[in-house]
Amino acid sequence: MRNFILIDKKYSMISKLIIIFIWFLLSKFINNEVMIPTIRNTLINLMDIVKDKSFLIIIRMTLLRGFIGFLISLFLAIVLGILSNTSKFIYNFMVPILSFLKSVPTMAIIILALIWLNNNKVPMFVGFIMVFPILYETVLNGILDIDYKIIDMAKLYKVSKTTLIKDIYIPSVFINLKAVLTSTLGLNFKMVIAGEALAQPKYAIGSNLQLQKLYLNTPGVFAWIIIILLIKNILEYSLGLLIKLLKKAKQWK
Amino acid sequence: MKYEVKNIVKQYGKLQVLDKVSIQFEENKIICILGPSGCGKTTLLNIMVGTLSKDYGEVIGFEKEDISFVFQEDRLIEWKNVKDNVGFVLRDKMDKKVRENVIDKYLRLVNLEEYKYYYPRQLSGGMRQRISILRAFAYPSKILIMDEPFKSLDINSKRTIMEFTLKLKELRGKTCILVTHDIQEALTLGDKIVILTEKPTKVKKVIENIPISDRSKESNTKLKELIENQLII
Repeated sequence: MRNFILIDKKYSMISKLIIIFIWFLLSKFINNEVMIPTIRNTLINLMDIVKDKSFLIIIRMTLLRGFIGFLISLFLAIVLGILSNTSKFIYNFMVPILSFLKSVPTMAIIILALIWLNNNKVPMFVGFIMVFPILYETVLNGILDIDYKIIDMAKLYKVSKTTLIKDIYIPSVFINLKAVLTSTLGLNFKMVIAGEALAQPKYAIGSNLQLQKLYLNTPGVFAWIIIILLIKNILEYSLGLLIKLLKKAKQWK
Repeated sequence: MKYEVKNIVKQYGKLQVLDKVSIQFEENKIICILGPSGCGKTTLLNIMVGTLSKDYGEVIGFEKEDISFVFQEDRLIEWKNVKDNVGFVLRDKMDKKVRENVIDKYLRLVNLEEYKYYYPRQLSGGMRQRISILRAFAYPSKILIMDEPFKSLDINSKRTIMEFTLKLKELRGKTCILVTHDIQEALTLGDKIVILTEKPTKVKKVIENIPISDRSKESNTKLKELIENQLII
């Protein structure tokens, strides 16, 4: 294992400080709030946003859309991934769908979604079309990667199908999923916000970003970006904690 | 004879692999099937356990039995610890409490209790194969089939694991069928050695009644020479 690919908190902090310093310098030299807002103004906007009585509802609604969309993607990926391994028809049925989702420009699908779906569902759909193919293929590969010699051994020892699914198939799928869970959850969150910016539901981070853009309030946009980064970090941390707890419960290792 | 194969014939297209192979397997003995690499030993095993069809012949006694296996590779499940790896094959055979007792009993018998919660990745190749042999003995069966189980091990591990196998065999009687191409393995473990020819494979010679404990160094050397001659000619 190369040590430098592991995150070192000290270097990460230095990098963050350098980025903030560059931001400070740029805002000072450009001296134009619309182009690069000052740190001070961004913080004032951030405080205003947080103090607003609808702030928590906005966060809650965006997170809810993200989670519902993600859980639907995860559920469908697991079910269809397992079914694709047992049925040739389902496997082949999924090939053109995945190829469509991968090759048609995302924007084209989003525009169709804007026509077909209501404002609240579009963000979830946008997250789904980005995240589902990744999760589905991960599930599929998780099953394909299972060592056939282990399955052979289980069959010779007359291990029941239920035990085989519970002890071999499901852990294999989850071991693979675990590796992409954090990145896909983050990607889903970003796509939901993009979907919100386009669909403009009433309470949404994306809608508010779009609103700030309309008023050319760049400090407001920066403030929302900071909030998004904080939420993303909290999400990743919570997920990491959950995985650790599950590991402790001896489910996966 | 309770376990037996009679006149087994197997052909892959025009290639005749097994040509009227007949072997009798005495209960609670170790029967070594010794033959050159690629002569069809694994094919014969697969026919015996029913995972491969035969063209002709009879398989007696194996169909109804639960059978334990030790393979060339340990085939341990990476995300399960030693206890759960052994427990995996026992799960449908006994309830949790009995299962735990059986696992503890076997680990204690061979002084491996301290490894109970180790994961395969924390164990050496030799230790992994020991667990795979332990799994085979803990499984409630009358027959144990070992398909070149020492092939990928270094000399020291091989010796230790052969002793380990004999110890378990003494403690828990099973009819053991060991397939190998290594004369020393056959001599160390076998109560009976069945020598097979090159393809089309036939039984060339059966050396019987060789209780390991009574074997002197001199008779061992003679036996080795005898087997070597059979394999060369």
